[in-house]
Amino acid sequence: MLRVSNLSVEYADGTRAIEDLSFSIEAGESVALIGANGAGKTTLLLAIVGVLPPIAGEISLHSSAAGPDEQKNAPAQAARGAVKPELVLTQRTGKDTLRELRARVGVVFQNPDDQLFMPGIYEDVAFGPRSFGIEEAETVQRVDAALSSLGIAHLADRSPLKLSGGEKRLAAIATVLAMKPDLLLFDEPTAYLDPRAKRNLAQIVSGLPQGKLIATHDMAFAAETCSRVLLIREGSVMEDGPRDILFNARKLEAAGL
Amino acid sequence: MHMADALLSPVVALAADAVGVAAVGISVARVKKDEFSEKKVPLIGVAGALVFAGQMINFTIPGTGSSGHIGGGILLAGLLGGVPAFLSMTAVLIIQCLFFADGGLLALGCNIFNLGVIPCLLVYPLVFKPIFRTAVSYRRLSAASVISATAALVLGASCVVLQVMLSGVAQLPVGTFTALMLPIHLVIGIVEGIVTAAVLCFVHRARPEVVTASLAGGKLDGIPVKKTVAAIAVLAVLAGGALSLLASKNPDGLEWAVEGTLEKTAAEAPGAAAVVPGAAQADEQSGHPEESSTAGALHVRAAGIRDATAVLPDYSFSYDGENAAGTSASGLIGAAITFVVAGAAGLSISLVKKRKREAAGADA
Amino acid sequence: MPDAGARVRELRALESLAAGRTAVHRLHPLAKLVASLVFIVTVASYGRYDFIRAAPYLFYPFIMMALSESPYKLLLSRVLIALPFCLFAGITNAILDTTAAFTLGGVTVSLGIVSLATIMLKMYLCVMAALILVATTPLTELTAQLRRMRAPSVFVMVFEMTYRYVGVLLEEVRSMIIAYRLRSGKKKALEMKHMGSFAGHLLLRGFDRAERVHAAMCCRGYSLKHIPPARRRIKPSDIIVMLIVCVPSVLLRVVPLY
Repeated sequence: MLRVSNLSVEYADGTRAIEDLSFSIEAGESVALIGANGAGKTTLLLAIVGVLPPIAGEISLHSSAAGPDEQKNAPAQAARGAVKPELVLTQRTGKDTLRELRARVGVVFQNPDDQLFMPGIYEDVAFGPRSFGIEEAETVQRVDAALSSLGIAHLADRSPLKLSGGEKRLAAIATVLAMKPDLLLFDEPTAYLDPRAKRNLAQIVSGLPQGKLIATHDMAFAAETCSRVLLIREGSVMEDGPRDILFNARKLEAAGL
Repeated sequence: MHMADALLSPVVALAADAVGVAAVGISVARVKKDEFSEKKVPLIGVAGALVFAGQMINFTIPGTGSSGHIGGGILLAGLLGGVPAFLSMTAVLIIQCLFFADGGLLALGCNIFNLGVIPCLLVYPLVFKPIFRTAVSYRRLSAASVISATAALVLGASCVVLQVMLSGVAQLPVGTFTALMLPIHLVIGIVEGIVTAAVLCFVHRARPEVVTASLAGGKLDGIPVKKTVAAIAVLAVLAGGALSLLASKNPDGLEWAVEGTLEKTAAEAPGAAAVVPGAAQADEQSGHPEESSTAGALHVRAAGIRDATAVLPDYSFSYDGENAAGTSASGLIGAAITFVVAGAAGLSISLVKKRKREAAGADA
Repeated sequence: MPDAGARVRELRALESLAAGRTAVHRLHPLAKLVASLVFIVTVASYGRYDFIRAAPYLFYPFIMMALSESPYKLLLSRVLIALPFCLFAGITNAILDTTAAFTLGGVTVSLGIVSLATIMLKMYLCVMAALILVATTPLTELTAQLRRMRAPSVFVMVFEMTYRYVGVLLEEVRSMIIAYRLRSGKKKALEMKHMGSFAGHLLLRGFDRAERVHAAMCCRGYSLKHIPPARRRIKPSDIIVMLIVCVPSVLLRVVPLY
């Protein structure tokens, strides 16, 4: 459902961050993105949603018949004609396509404090649907559904200032889920979490039906949540294969880990 | 120094509020016009929080043993440009007022003017930029910072004095007060200027593009700012003028309306005195509850009410001996009783609520 | 000047108060906003010697605090912040205005003292009114109300984000200061010569954060378009409470009881 082909990205100062990188993710598949600090993991995630524009290559997103929503109620979807169009992101992609792409690909940032920018959790989770012009009644329903699916409905009226690290992380995921994305991108989801919160998060992430790309340094977490591994180094793919790579010391060392 | 509600008359405060609202409106329009405006909103928001957090850093002033902290207006303007910095400062002032009781709600306009408009929209474009513009050098950056920070602080402090004086709530002796305030603020301003310069130089070394970009933002800070300044000045004069007309000693606005209503009721129905609690009570006290409500008597009373109803305090500093109706020992005792009764009322409500909660807790 | 940690605690304390569920909390934010403003303007409009006439207004903070179950101590400690400047101005009055007003138990009280007392009373009333407003209304409700009133959405957003990141950055400053102290051996303040890099680092990191926040906002479809929040109907009970505050406040001001 996501295909990245020959992608190259540069920083504002001209350094090349991603170099001719290609891979793809099937619907409902979970892929771990592994690489040393500065290998370009965050950059790649931001490039996929067009926050950092590519200087070459393209990113395409198409809803295959087996998207997470479609899987569950395919007949209903087909009846409503809700098959989403293919989106292609290149150097020259316009604003409307970008908006559409961002509605379908959700990014969970490394630091929840960057992501939770509203004074209240409810407002924050509602921010995405409201920005995309979803009606208020449905927004309310989406926010409730997102919060309760993560077991944090009781946090709705709280302020982010008063949440623990684990609660903030779940709240940040809820803000993304409320947009009903087909694909989820996680940037270091286990950062700032204690072991118990990590186990809880691994369970929740495994239970999400969407396709996932998870950038992490936490091998145990990656092994638990992902079936495939994308090992990158200096902005290029080194290895793309099953999860055995996570335990292959030689390959990890070659990637600078 | 944050202005408090208690030191302002509503006229001065509301005039300043009008100016503050106008300045925010114009600034928002300017920011919206900027092509990077979408990116500017989070930057302005985070910058406001930075100023607030930065004010919590205390540093020792060498040779004095006392400590100071940064104010932020000029520093922020040097980094973001005048208009965005102004919006950041305004957001900070509202938060300080609402959550930390630093400056009053009614006094927000005054604080926005003294600590936002003056450094960001007046001093920055008129003092900082002209000094710094010609060539980017640390010496010029430092000079611009020190002079601007000092000017902003002294101007702001002078405005505080001016606003309190115009309000007539406190009778500050202008000469002594200025003689006391100016040197203090001159020193604080110079210290703040030096620190501002140090921070700006550091940022300039680490990320030169940040400081120069704010200066180059011609669209945001060039001619439009001068127009903005002019517009704000005109607005200030207009708002002040209109409201002081309103506040002059002639019967006006609210007073006039009250007087008119009272006279009308008096003429129409003699028994209508009961609608005025004060009048009714006065009648009872004078011992003629029923028969004293003649139209004539009411008319006289209405005039008395008008005299006592200086909704907007006079600007005169002298005590005329008549409107201090309750300045007596018995009145003071009455006030003390009021305080106790009010406190008791609050306390009893709390107790009732507490008992109810406990009862509910016991049930559950 | 309270330190960063104290400020975070204050912010949190007010937030927990605002999250309460009393009848006062449930009132429409517009009703509370109007009532508070009318109250403050009326109190501020009293003259310099109107101490006694302004005294009945004390009922408002006491009753509101009791109804909203706000702790008296916490709110009172905030009032102290506004104190110094008002006290300074008031004492100047007390020194300059020595005309005798009345004698109380053989002691002559001057008009200056009366005006000092008036300023203190007015300060207390105004500060309490604003504090009660924020202690009973979550910020998100206030800003939603501002949006409904067509306040510029750019500014409301800036305000919300400033509020949000004040909490985050205060924590950051606090740990920076602790780290500094641990290595400097100093007790409290920084040396002035270190301010440039200390505050400079804080600013640069803050700007980087603003970039990331902007990216996060973009990912969720942020645009400058005005999005009016859901309408919240103002009920008759809201208006009645508003009038219960406003009408007596204004009447008491306009009609002299004594």
